[in-house]
Amino acid sequence: MAESQKAPETVNPALVLVAAAAGWFVPGLGHALLKKWGKAIVYFCAIALLVIVGLRMRGNMFSSSAADAFDMLGFLADIGNGVFYFLSGSINPAGADVSRASGDYGTRLIATAGVLNFLCVLEVLQIGFGGKPRREEEHTPA
Amino acid sequence: MVIFALAVSAAFALLSKNKMSERVRYAVWAFLAFLVVAIGIGWLMYPFTR
Repeated sequence: MAESQKAPETVNPALVLVAAAAGWFVPGLGHALLKKWGKAIVYFCAIALLVIVGLRMRGNMFSSSAADAFDMLGFLADIGNGVFYFLSGSINPAGADVSRASGDYGTRLIATAGVLNFLCVLEVLQIGFGGKPRREEEHTPA
Repeated sequence: MVIFALAVSAAFALLSKNKMSERVRYAVWAFLAFLVVAIGIGWLMYPFTR
């Protein structure tokens, strides 16, 4: 092995799975458990911003009792928000109002945040199982 | 729309790039692309509003 290359850090697979679950429940927490603090903060802020703005715009958070396939897709996207999904009633006590354009846009923001969090969870798994370098320096040329 | 573009471009930059300079460049590019494309498509749809 060349001197400039670092040996990959070994991470307990159970910790990776816990980090992925934690990252789903609280956006960014998975990265924080893997000590990627910068990413954790940015992901949390981005997802929280999207969900809170979406809910304040009176966007719709789909429930598991879906009436059709599109509602089910909406639910699958929204459940990606983790704790924000369960707190949606507290964040926006007035409930959804998609009769106006702002409510419709809010629904899209919430779904985007959920899908974005799923991407973050996938990245936690990728980092943890060694598919992605854990440190930025490993990518810089020697 | 600006909030959406800001949050998504920042997250995409961190997800897809590894170096800080690449991340900043990609985030700015994606942010501007979101805005330009959204405004552009908005103007393209304008003749069909009535």
